[in-house]
Amino acid sequence: MANTESLENVVLELRRGVIVLAALSQLGAPEYGYSLLKKLSNLGLEVDQGTLYPLLRRLEAQGLLESVWKLEEARPRRYYVISAEGKKLLPKMKKEWAGIVAVMDKMLS
Amino acid sequence: MNLIDRYVSEVGKNLPLLNGREDIEKELKSTLEDMLEDRAQSSGHARDEAMEIEVLKEYGAPQKVAQTYNPHPYLIGPKMFPFYLFVLKIVLTVVVSVMLVLAGIQAATDTPFMGADFVKIIGQGLGSALSAAIAAFGNVTLVFVILERVLPDKEIGGFDDEKDWDPASLAKEPDPDSVSRSELITEIVFTFVALAILNIYPQWLGMFFFTENEQVFIPMFTEKFFQFVPWINVLLAAEILLDIYLLRNAIWTRLTRLGKVVIEASSLTLTVLILRTPDIIAFSAESLAGGPFPPEQAEVFVTIATYMFPVIMAIVIIIQSIELVKAVYRLFKMNAK
Repeated sequence: MANTESLENVVLELRRGVIVLAALSQLGAPEYGYSLLKKLSNLGLEVDQGTLYPLLRRLEAQGLLESVWKLEEARPRRYYVISAEGKKLLPKMKKEWAGIVAVMDKMLS
Repeated sequence: MNLIDRYVSEVGKNLPLLNGREDIEKELKSTLEDMLEDRAQSSGHARDEAMEIEVLKEYGAPQKVAQTYNPHPYLIGPKMFPFYLFVLKIVLTVVVSVMLVLAGIQAATDTPFMGADFVKIIGQGLGSALSAAIAAFGNVTLVFVILERVLPDKEIGGFDDEKDWDPASLAKEPDPDSVSRSELITEIVFTFVALAILNIYPQWLGMFFFTENEQVFIPMFTEKFFQFVPWINVLLAAEILLDIYLLRNAIWTRLTRLGKVVIEASSLTLTVLILRTPDIIAFSAESLAGGPFPPEQAEVFVTIATYMFPVIMAIVIIIQSIELVKAVYRLFKMNAK
């Protein structure tokens, strides 16, 4: 029981660590929150709504994302897209990620 | 109002007081509508209340959802917490020690020395120390809660930021215009405690006696002292504002140096005025007659209190004069650069 809980916590922490990179990498074109959630899910990354929406707002506050409200099918939707600042940061984050993956592969193989 | 609107409104009520609450509610509603539309498509039947309940249950309790948007879940954040503990330990040690010493003096001077009254005084003394400790704890916590919200994040980050720390800086002379955050925070806390005592707990400025089931309070100061309290308040508040400004900006400027000179000079003037005001001490043979002292002891106590007050004030004036000279010197030194 304790082992399952520990595993769940570790997996949760690992996922949390990659959500920022995952979200930034998928926001080259504007997406609204739910569509991004589905997109990430289709790519194999399940993210909790309670994690994604506040994260998108934080990234916008940090200047890495931009957002705009659009009225679609009589429903307003907030679209997020990567900002110029985010675009500058993304390649560095990708490089960092590749480094981590390489190191961990070496350790775990 | 349907179930979705009620849920969104419930989340809104629990959101922290920040800009964009309406925006969050609007986005949440839009997301829930998207989820329901998606669910209806995949299930092959139109949305109904059961589906709404299912989606809302999946989304989570309104309080929990609102909590995820809270950027500041701490009363006092982890970066400020070590300073909070540091100041709290000092304040609690001082307050409890003073209250216990006062209780000890009272028990030692009271007659009969041993017996029910003695036990009662010790008990009351411990009670006073406990209530003083709780009040001090509350006040210190309040100050830090305010600082946590007033100071910008990067300033709070500076308290334990090791990134910019350079061991070579140990060999360098400290910059005379840089501020010491720990000193400023300690000063803010003590100034706030002084403000609280003067305005909320003026009854602490005096002596308590317990005689025959009766509690007697003998004030230390006359009304003449309390006429100065508004001016003392202004100076203490100015000191706190200056300290907060310095904490935010992390460096002394000509304006803040000038402000410090004005505050120090005004404090010195006020102390001199208080010292020169006659009949400011309320302890007298008559006022102590209600206490446990025999008349001869009361007279000795009044004499000590009457002579000690100018001595203490003289010490305060010397300290304030030194502080004023230091403030003026630093201002001139800065102007000379």
